[in-house]
Amino acid sequence: MTDPSKHPLVIVVGSGGVGKTTLAAALGLRSTRTGDDSLVMTFDPSLRLKDALGVGDEAREEDTRVKTGGPGGLWASLLDARLTFDKLIDRYAPDEEARQRILTNRFYDRLSANLAGVLEYMASERLFEVSSSDRYSKIILDTPPTRQALDFLGAPERIVSFLDSGAVRIALKPWFDADGKLKVTSKLGMIGRNVEGFFDRMVGLELLRDMAEFFKAFAPLFGGFKERALQVQDLLRSPRTLFVLVSGPGSGRVADTLFFARRLTEAGYHLGPIVVNRVHPELPPVRDTANQGRRLMEWLGRRDHQGVAELRDLVGASHPVVEIPLLPDEPTDLKSLDALGGLFEGRLEEAMARASS
Amino acid sequence: MDVLNRLDRLELLVVTGKGGVGKSTITAALGALLANRGRKVLLIEVDPRENLHHLLETPPSGGEIVEAASNLHLQHIEPRQLLDDVVREKLKVGTLVRKVLASPVYQHFTEGAPGLKQTAVFGRAMRMVEGHGPKQLRKPDVVILDAPASGHGISWMAAPQLVFEVISSGPVGHMASQIATFLKDRNRFGSVVVTSAEEMPIQEAFELFDAMDERLGRQPELVVANAIYPPLPGRAGRDASSRLWARRRAVNEHELARLAERWSGAMAEVPLEPIDAGPSLVGVVGQHLRRALEDR
Repeated sequence: MTDPSKHPLVIVVGSGGVGKTTLAAALGLRSTRTGDDSLVMTFDPSLRLKDALGVGDEAREEDTRVKTGGPGGLWASLLDARLTFDKLIDRYAPDEEARQRILTNRFYDRLSANLAGVLEYMASERLFEVSSSDRYSKIILDTPPTRQALDFLGAPERIVSFLDSGAVRIALKPWFDADGKLKVTSKLGMIGRNVEGFFDRMVGLELLRDMAEFFKAFAPLFGGFKERALQVQDLLRSPRTLFVLVSGPGSGRVADTLFFARRLTEAGYHLGPIVVNRVHPELPPVRDTANQGRRLMEWLGRRDHQGVAELRDLVGASHPVVEIPLLPDEPTDLKSLDALGGLFEGRLEEAMARASS
Repeated sequence: MDVLNRLDRLELLVVTGKGGVGKSTITAALGALLANRGRKVLLIEVDPRENLHHLLETPPSGGEIVEAASNLHLQHIEPRQLLDDVVREKLKVGTLVRKVLASPVYQHFTEGAPGLKQTAVFGRAMRMVEGHGPKQLRKPDVVILDAPASGHGISWMAAPQLVFEVISSGPVGHMASQIATFLKDRNRFGSVVVTSAEEMPIQEAFELFDAMDERLGRQPELVVANAIYPPLPGRAGRDASSRLWARRRAVNEHELARLAERWSGAMAEVPLEPIDAGPSLVGVVGQHLRRALEDR
């Protein structure tokens, strides 16, 4: 099953700048034609795409209805790491005092938006929230603009491994006495003392104090975190979840795309179509070599089609390779987004027919 | 002062830009350009998928310094390796080193702590230009860093300051503070922003200008607008491909105009070239850069 229209959860992955977000929006819009109530979750959409969907910054706070004509509804949600994190604390902090302690902690304040994997983790957190609410029959998730979009998928597992690593246990030790001085008497054993001693020498006590405070304040939340990280992981690997890998054109990108595809399938995710976006048209060669621009266009067409052909040779049998031509204009309204979605569907059908023949 | 002369004086250059805009090509071309002007250049890349050796046709670096041409070297660096080296250097005792390196706490700390890896890479570059490099290349005149496209370039340039704010004492804090000071020095450090003339990359470049202003109090040395479609010749046909070409050119022109409104500093436009990635592309792009910068 490699057709995204048959899956309740579709995850669009790929390198930055290849048109993931626009494609995710187009897929969401198309699914409303068949009566689905769909949600498109995205990071960092271009102004133009926000304009095309007719949503603004209010979509950072809540799912925002897009004015579509189809029988189903379309909602858009813009992900914001810090906001999601704050909301999570609102929900899980045992009382107002604990909530305030976390929100005003220096470690939390500086690091919550910078900490590696937080944005990724928060996206999966939101994903789990909406997918368990049954409010939508279809969810399209556009993954964060990281080069290794795979970071996103590993985030729940990293959180679990972090929580299991003992880092938290050590952080929660009563390291400091009432005066804020490090207790030298803590009985952590040889290894604990070495590791701690190392951190003390390398990073100083101030950071450790902030971290200890942060983890102490956060401790009541960890139980729920871990449980949900595991549930998100199951959701991502479920056969009902389909991944769509988007790549830029050209034979130079083939190795990158294969790398992504292999990592996804090896990690147990269900990869459907591979989309090669913005492919230049193939032009008949001309003898007029003086026309440099024409020569360039011809070269681009050749380069891009060679890339598609190479991908088809290598993975076409297991994943339909869908080529989307470079459009004169990026979609700027619902009509052109819908046209892009239609183009995708047509090309997907061709690619699936090619794969099965 | 002329941009090329200014670039000639810097000791560390960071090349940033959104993924897919040709950042590695510009890094290599800029390196070749400065090497041709007599500077001893080291290109550093940290992306796990090595790229530069393809462009310069050398064997992959695998962590070693590789000579690509006269005065031009490249090295692939694994930031994690640099942090491990710091541990080895500071702890000295073998069993302690092994225990710390194997400890999950250390592993999670170095993976997760923001800015630590970036700071280690800058620290390495700084030590090299100060003459503490390995035997093959004791003291490059300039290190050019091909910064990975993850997030905005600011996450690289602001990293040492962030680390220093969080870890204000101990050797790590001290190192971070020295590097943050180095990055503020206009005579030693500069950045190059690479973008294509498309909406999102240009938008991201604007955000980077704002973030640099706010967090570093400075602006890039140079903006390179890469992969520009050439103007359509007057006698182009009216077929679909000519229309597509005309439209892409129009988008490029529109975005270049938007850039020009916002950015008045040094700027180079590099056209798309029908050349496969490799040394000839690097050479041609280097010439475009030189011409654009000499014209100014």
